[in-house]
Amino acid sequence: MTVEEIRGGDNEIDRFPIGMRVLAVDDNPTCLKLLDGLLRKCQYQVTTTNQAIKALNMLRENRNRFDLVISDVYMPDMDGFKLLELVGLEMDLPVIMLSGNGDRNLVMKGITHGACDYLVKPVRLEEIRNIWQHVIRRKVESKSKNNREKSDQGIEGGDQNEKLNRKRKDEDEEEENGNESDDPTAKKKPRVVWSIDLHRKFVAAINQLGIEKAVPKRILDLMNVDGLTRENVASHLQKYRLYLKRISHQANMVVAFGGNNDASSYMRMSPLDGLADFRTLSCSGRLPNATYAPAGMLGRLNSATGVALHSLTAPPLVQPNHTQTKLQPGPVVSSNHQNMNLFQGIPPFELDQLQYSNKPNTHLTDYNSIEESQIFTGTNLADFNSINEPRMFRGSSTFTDPISVLASQAGVKLTSTGTESLNLLSTTSGFLDQNGNQPPSFPSNLLPVGESYSYPAAVNGGFSSNITTTAAVPVEAHGGGLVGHIVQNVNQSLSNQKGGPCSKQDYSQYSQNAFTTLASSALADYGGSSGPVSHSRPNGVGSTLVQTEHTKLQSGFVSSNGYGSLDDIIPGMLKREQNTTMQMNGEFGYDAYMVPGRVYGDESK
Amino acid sequence: MDAVSQLQRQFVEHATSLYREGYLDDQFTQLQKLQDESNPDFVVEVVTLFFEDSEKLLNNLATALQQESIDYKQVDAHVHQFKGSSSSIGAQRVKNVCVVFRNYCDEKNLDGCLVCLQQAKNEYLLVRNKLEALLNLEQQILQAGGSVPMIT
Repeated sequence: MTVEEIRGGDNEIDRFPIGMRVLAVDDNPTCLKLLDGLLRKCQYQVTTTNQAIKALNMLRENRNRFDLVISDVYMPDMDGFKLLELVGLEMDLPVIMLSGNGDRNLVMKGITHGACDYLVKPVRLEEIRNIWQHVIRRKVESKSKNNREKSDQGIEGGDQNEKLNRKRKDEDEEEENGNESDDPTAKKKPRVVWSIDLHRKFVAAINQLGIEKAVPKRILDLMNVDGLTRENVASHLQKYRLYLKRISHQANMVVAFGGNNDASSYMRMSPLDGLADFRTLSCSGRLPNATYAPAGMLGRLNSATGVALHSLTAPPLVQPNHTQTKLQPGPVVSSNHQNMNLFQGIPPFELDQLQYSNKPNTHLTDYNSIEESQIFTGTNLADFNSINEPRMFRGSSTFTDPISVLASQAGVKLTSTGTESLNLLSTTSGFLDQNGNQPPSFPSNLLPVGESYSYPAAVNGGFSSNITTTAAVPVEAHGGGLVGHIVQNVNQSLSNQKGGPCSKQDYSQYSQNAFTTLASSALADYGGSSGPVSHSRPNGVGSTLVQTEHTKLQSGFVSSNGYGSLDDIIPGMLKREQNTTMQMNGEFGYDAYMVPGRVYGDESK
Repeated sequence: MDAVSQLQRQFVEHATSLYREGYLDDQFTQLQKLQDESNPDFVVEVVTLFFEDSEKLLNNLATALQQESIDYKQVDAHVHQFKGSSSSIGAQRVKNVCVVFRNYCDEKNLDGCLVCLQQAKNEYLLVRNKLEALLNLEQQILQAGGSVPMIT
């Protein structure tokens, strides 16, 4: 059943879910037969297979052939979660997990991998009768999002709307993309919203082509998304590369800093193999301190973003030790965790790998995944890219509040943040759109996300100052604004450096993280990790690539700065900011964040 | 008809005792609900699959536990499957043995595993006989033109 059919008219809608096409996968023949019976009883159109590989092939042959996939978790030829990820990544179909084991951890894993539901065997008829909601929900969300966007955006959104509308008519995934863009993105983004789904496609295309051969034109062809231009892809690709670079830098940094496991994890990450090339892309050396090449990137990006990035990268580095060194000891510690978590969130795949291995808190990892998704949603930040600086700071004023909140929460929140951060992101997004009209809930969220938290106040501070000063500087994509605000707060905190402000800083980092998350996700895909990619699905996260990219940059940047003194960073950043708009490659266009001529350094203590 | 009602009564008695004695649980009732005109032989099909599947699993388990060096992960995988299929059709006692069996696997307790394997086999054979009898009665009722009573 296509969207049109569903939307087509009352009749069609009424008939649905009858005839809904389900693909059921379970290696246990008895269970598969039972599932078949249950689905038939509900009058769905059932296709069964006992092999995940076969299921994937069927889906790949024609993704429009099915509306929903139900899969067992334990299968001999492929892990159910892996299948889940791949389906979400490539086909953007709702996937329901099935298992005899109802452990909370597994259920959580299902969620983080993007499952839209998790059923425990033996499954009852009543439960199966309800599964159609997952299909219709996506379509409805997509549709309403499109409508909302149309009405809200007006001219600006014209492009977006068109794209969204087009998407609506077209494949589900396109709609999904629309869905994933949260309101914030929908509202003011005239540019492409790199939703998690879209990003996944992008990464899948890159993986298919090979990172060296991944040129925009070919990626575009592979992705086969209507309304997407080569320029969109090119821009996104650049960001992605930076992100990869940042990741590898982070890994290095971790090692350098002697982060606990992080270092190793990072190293593991580095295997964004083949990404080494990207390293060169990153603006290494831009930052004065930049141990991390990414720092340069940060400079380009909004300072806020940059900060965020730093924080992101920082996490690994940030290891508990950081607290002492860098930022406020108290908060820092927590931040570190946060960062770590954030980090996890960032590159879904990569981080996850890292995270999982390093972090003792697996749960954090989960959070990260979640965060990621959320981050995507909140990507308004992503808009940054396209944007216009002016947008950035729009919401700044409101941000301040969140920051204080964050500050208070800093320590605590960080860890739990995973989810919180997500919220922040979304909130942030909201901010962007509304120019800071977002509710203060934002802060708490930010914290988690803000891997940046852990980053040394310096980083944040530095950025903050930059950002804040800008008040004038429009934060792109609202998100920027948030960042800016946070940054401002952060700045203040920076001055304090250790202690209070930390939270604030985190915030900025957070915003940056958002990007990172996106970036992470993107990267994750790239890395082929079974990271939270899936998460994008369920969340209507409109993660925009832009954001990710920023985060990437930022992360890289942050990490380097994290440890350095804020003053060093700021001037460096300032210079960069002022010089180019895009040091990075002009992709981000964040440059605007830093107000030219403004002396950022003076803000930090 | 007398023959039909007699068969039906027997069917009810047999089914009720199976539930009462814990050989079957509510899941079996669920299975019966799924049988209808569009899927008339559903219960027989599922149960037959269960029998085939179980026998294979039991053999695999016996083999796995006879190895020089036992791969408990593999053993656990089999038991997990067995547990899944038995719970899907409502073979409660078999499923319960599987639960205990898995614990022994986790502990890598060979003796415990062997005992469980034996129990699983016994329970499986018992429930198989009873299900066969039940389905037989069902078949007879239908052939005699009657309808199969629902057991709640």
